[in-house]
Amino acid sequence: MRASDIPDRGVAMVSIGHHRIGIMRVGGQLHALADRCPHRGAPLCSFGEIVTDIERLPDGTLALGEPGSLIRCPWHKWDFDIATGTSPADPAMRVRRYAVQEDGEEVVVCLDRPDR
Amino acid sequence: MLIDCDVHVGYDDLLDLAPYLDGPTAELVRHSGSNGLAMPSYPWYHPTGWVRKDTYDADSLSMGRQIPGQSLVTVQRLLLDPYEVTFGVLTPDEAAAFSVIPNAQLGARLAEGYNEWLLDNWLTQDPRLRGLIVVAAHHPEAAAAEIRRRAGDDRFVGVFLPGGARIPYGNVVYDPIWQAAAETGLPVVVHTHFDGVGISPPVTSAGHPDTYAEYHVLCGSGMYGHFTSVLLSGVFERFPGARMVMVEGGLLPFLAYLWRMDADWRACRSEVPHCRRLPSEYVWENVRFTTQPFESPPEGEELWPLIRHLRPEQTMLFASDYPHWDFDEPTHVLRLLPEDVRDAVAYGNAADIFRLTAPVGA
Repeated sequence: MRASDIPDRGVAMVSIGHHRIGIMRVGGQLHALADRCPHRGAPLCSFGEIVTDIERLPDGTLALGEPGSLIRCPWHKWDFDIATGTSPADPAMRVRRYAVQEDGEEVVVCLDRPDR
Repeated sequence: MLIDCDVHVGYDDLLDLAPYLDGPTAELVRHSGSNGLAMPSYPWYHPTGWVRKDTYDADSLSMGRQIPGQSLVTVQRLLLDPYEVTFGVLTPDEAAAFSVIPNAQLGARLAEGYNEWLLDNWLTQDPRLRGLIVVAAHHPEAAAAEIRRRAGDDRFVGVFLPGGARIPYGNVVYDPIWQAAAETGLPVVVHTHFDGVGISPPVTSAGHPDTYAEYHVLCGSGMYGHFTSVLLSGVFERFPGARMVMVEGGLLPFLAYLWRMDADWRACRSEVPHCRRLPSEYVWENVRFTTQPFESPPEGEELWPLIRHLRPEQTMLFASDYPHWDFDEPTHVLRLLPEDVRDAVAYGNAADIFRLTAPVGA
C-alpha cells in the first residue's frame, strides 16, 4: 500500500490472512487497528466514522480534541482513540493494534503489536 | 431457529404511501405544507446516529430519512441470512407516529395505507417476514375495524401500538381495540416509540428531558405506564383472549414494577375490582417481553439472578431492534442466558404468541 492511498480523515483497509486491518493517519502519524470492535464485534474500521472528541475544559468551556483522533463504532457508537485503541468511555475496552510504519512511499503493516 | 421480534422498516417519505391511500388522504399528503405532509418527530436528535452505520451508504444518504439506505436486500444480507432468522417481525418507524398526531381520523387513514404498503413492499417479498397491523390508537373504533380487516391474513401477526399515547392503554376508551385483538387472537404489541412526541405527554412527570441521552434512558417510561394500566384495569379479565407483548422497554424495570404492583394491589383491590388476581398472574398467562435492550450490568455482575424472576422460559422473546444503534447481536444475548431457556427465548415463546410455524426443514 502506498502512503498516498490513505485518505485524509479516512480509513484504508487491508487484509493479512484472516486479519482485517484499518490504517489511519492522526497528526501525521500512521496507526493500524483491527476491524473488530471489542464490544460486540462490529466492523469498526470498515464502517466506522473518524470523529473529533468534544472535551470539557477545567474552566467549564467546551473544546475540540485532536482532530480526527477517534474512530466511532458503526453499531453502538462507542468511540476509540486511534493512537491507543482505548475507549474514552471505558478504558477496559481496547481495540487490537498492529505495528505500521512508512518506508519511503510504501506503508508496511505487520501482525506484531506496536512497541508503544 | 431464531425469531427476531423487532425489525424496523419504514418508507422513505410519507409520499410513498400515496398510492395506498384513499383519494382525499393522498391529496392531503401530497399538498400539505410547502413540501407535503410531515409527521411530528422527537425534539432531541441522536448525537451519534439513530441507525447502524454499516446499514447504509453515506454517500447516497438523503437528509431526513428515518432509516436511510434500507432495502430488502440489506435486511436479508445483514440480518436474516447471517443469523439464520426463521421469522422477522417487522415493526414500523415513522408510521408509529400515526397514533400521536392530533388528527385521529387522518392517523387512522394513514395507518390503513401503511399496512397495505407493508404488504406490497415487504411481507410479500420474503416468506420469513411478518408484520404488525399499525393502527391509530386514539381512534379505537377505526383501529378495531382495521384489526378485523387484516386478521385473516396470517402475514400479520399482531397489532402495533406505540409507547407514546394520550392516555394509558388500560383505559376503557381502548376497549374496542382489546375486543378486536382478543376476538382475532392477535397480540397487542406495545413498542416504545414517540414517547413525548405529538399528543403524548413528556416521558416523565418531571417534564421533558434536555438531551437525547436522558431521553433514551427514560424512553421505556410509556411502556411502564401501559403495563401498569393494562394489568390493574383488568384488561385480561374483561377480554380473556387478549395478550400483550412489550417491546423495547428493557426487562428489569418491568420486574420492579411488577413486584410493586403485586404489593400495592393487596391494599388497593377495592379500587381496581376488574383486576381480580395478583397482577403477576396475568403476566405469566398474557404478557411477553422482548429482550432488547438487554440489560448491561457492570462487567462481572450477573443478570440472571434478577431476570429469572420474569420467567424467561415463558415470557421472553428475542429481539434485535435492527437497524437501530442499540441493536442487540443475537449470539451475544442468547449466550448470556442459561442453555435450558435459550430455545424458548430464541424461538419457542415467539412462535407461540405470534402463532408461527417453522417451514419444514428450517
